[in-house]
Amino acid sequence: MPKFIKWYIVPLVVGILCHGSILFARDDVVRLTYWPSSNPQEIELAKVTVDEWNSKHPDIQVDMQPLPASQSSEEVLLAAVAARTTPDVCSNIWPGIVPEFTEAGVLVALDEFEEFSDVAASRIPEDILHIFRSNDGHIYQMPWKGNPIMMEYNVRLFREAGITTPPRTYAEFMNAAEKITKDTDGDGTIDRWMGIINVSPVWWHRFFDFYALYIAASGGKTLIADGKVDFNNEYAIGVFRFLQEGFAKGYFPKGTLQGNQFLLENIAIQFLGPWDIGFLEKHKPENFEYDFSPLPVPENTTEPIVTYGDPKNIVIFSTTKHPREAWEFVRFLVSEECDLRLLEICYQIPFRKDMDKDPTFKEYFEKNPKVLRFAKQIAYTRGTDNIPQLKEIFDVIAQAFEYCCVYGRKTPEDAIENAAEGCRRVIGR
Amino acid sequence: MGRSRPDENNRVGYLMALPYVIFFLLFMAYPLIFSLILVFHKWNIIAPMKWVGLGNFVRLFNDALFWKSLGNTFVFLVIHIPLQIIVALVIANILNQKIAARGFFRASFFLPVVISGVVVTILWQQLYSQETGLFNALLSRMNLHKVPWLTSTKLAMPSIAIMATWKNVGLYVVLFLTGLQGIPFSLYEAADLDGASGVQKFFHITIPMLNPTMIMVLILSTLGGFSLFIEPYIMTGGGPMNSTLSCVLYIYKQAFYFNHMGYAAALAFMVALIIMVVVIIQRKSFETEVYA
Repeated sequence: MPKFIKWYIVPLVVGILCHGSILFARDDVVRLTYWPSSNPQEIELAKVTVDEWNSKHPDIQVDMQPLPASQSSEEVLLAAVAARTTPDVCSNIWPGIVPEFTEAGVLVALDEFEEFSDVAASRIPEDILHIFRSNDGHIYQMPWKGNPIMMEYNVRLFREAGITTPPRTYAEFMNAAEKITKDTDGDGTIDRWMGIINVSPVWWHRFFDFYALYIAASGGKTLIADGKVDFNNEYAIGVFRFLQEGFAKGYFPKGTLQGNQFLLENIAIQFLGPWDIGFLEKHKPENFEYDFSPLPVPENTTEPIVTYGDPKNIVIFSTTKHPREAWEFVRFLVSEECDLRLLEICYQIPFRKDMDKDPTFKEYFEKNPKVLRFAKQIAYTRGTDNIPQLKEIFDVIAQAFEYCCVYGRKTPEDAIENAAEGCRRVIGR
Repeated sequence: MGRSRPDENNRVGYLMALPYVIFFLLFMAYPLIFSLILVFHKWNIIAPMKWVGLGNFVRLFNDALFWKSLGNTFVFLVIHIPLQIIVALVIANILNQKIAARGFFRASFFLPVVISGVVVTILWQQLYSQETGLFNALLSRMNLHKVPWLTSTKLAMPSIAIMATWKNVGLYVVLFLTGLQGIPFSLYEAADLDGASGVQKFFHITIPMLNPTMIMVLILSTLGGFSLFIEPYIMTGGGPMNSTLSCVLYIYKQAFYFNHMGYAAALAFMVALIIMVVVIIQRKSFETEVYA
């Protein structure tokens, strides 16, 4: 044997012998890859959940890997789809991206599993489930959780300003904002504002201001109806006018402020979901009081107030070699015990019917009344429209928002009309 | 000592060149050819490509936002390049004198070049903050009005240009220093004998002799300016009202926000063509002066 071959073969054999998994791995063990979201709470949740699953299912072992970090999860998932490196299961799926995935045929149709109907029915009513149905009639996503957008407010700042109940209407909001916004240290510049609205013209920021407020004002309308633009109406114009007034009067600052301004008590309100409860409970100073209320709406809006639900769902990618086992894992992820854990660790709301009346969750909600507000709100939420051009539509709205609301260069009527026209072009392209 | 045969020498040469050839084919030639194919297609990464012929270019010529982004990039270049050259030249001249702690100052000016662009951008975003930034705090102390550095359509791009100059000037200082140290001292001695003043020496000896360095700085600054991305991406997102939307940021948005890979490739080819034309014009203009 030539000498140099020895130098290749010997380390190779030693390597193989040392790598026990090659010689001793069990052929009958199915291995699944699972990508949860990469925020610390959800990583912790995923670790606990996967450990429990693996201990209960020695024949189906799950490897958890947080979704690789990027500007957005959707970019990472698209790259993974293009490179065919998608996991078996992913639980951070924004429904807005599902139409693109289904068109490309990269998802497993979950409604083809015979237990799907029962599992889905235990979570959400059929009339809401149809929102997640794709154009080909199949359902490719398991509704998992939502984060209803509500108004978080600083109780002490409101009390000191003489505001006894959180503002419900736009007019009440502006009255409160006038009292809250001030120069507290007398240096001639405003240093306390009613709230912060992100002025960056990035499309997804508009979920948490314009879109949530629009859903609330319109009683639950979304942007598209029957494939056509449907937001050129009084509600959208009203939301733009409300935001424009807030910026024009200085109730919302136009610049970027570093740090958590709500925790620093430099702002009194912000529009966001229940995930902030975990953060505030961990970091809030002593005597810091906060609570949540529905989003402000125009006069005469009827109760209950609907909002954006910020849904995230679970899918199985068609690259999986074990769809049946992946489905079993998905069923586990949406079980009652995992839903309770989602509440406990992440303060996020599972899609589950009548959760506030369910004995499994009763004790938790008694201890966490703020989370209960969101659990009750989850039934009155909307997601996004099921069309592939959604990101571009929100980009057009983000441009209109900037011109009209932030800088006052357009009237709300013109801005909404122009945005609607722009969206029609996007859909027709 | 034996002499190796020519074909053996060739083989060794090919082997030495092989890593770079592989790198070139994988990471330069292949993407270039692939993007050239993309130019004529509609493709969202995950679905099959669809042939659109010259459709992407038709769209490009009718896309007002692309032309606005191009205009914004030229605004940036017009502010950034002269500012960069003047500041770098002045600093290089000072650092070329026998001043105390010269090594320390040279290193200090170069430091921003090696700091991550993202870190620098976030730092300056805080400095520029209208409500809580250091610059406006200083202005307030002098009883002056706060300036909307990044929230005014007129000021946002100049503010970014100033920041980019601070970040990159150290590199050009080093280039100018090298150029200055290459100027024969005898020229200055002869000028001294003729009674030339410092200003005369600067304009009649230093500047002409630095022309080759100037051309290099000009071309590098132009290429860097056309690549403007991190600063608007992080500081303004292209706003306010698209006033800081650069060509590259627009291409990025089309490619990675909206998955319009074919259209983004067409935009990229158009920008590459424009850069080529600008650089050719610059070289033609300046090389004539240097070697005339």
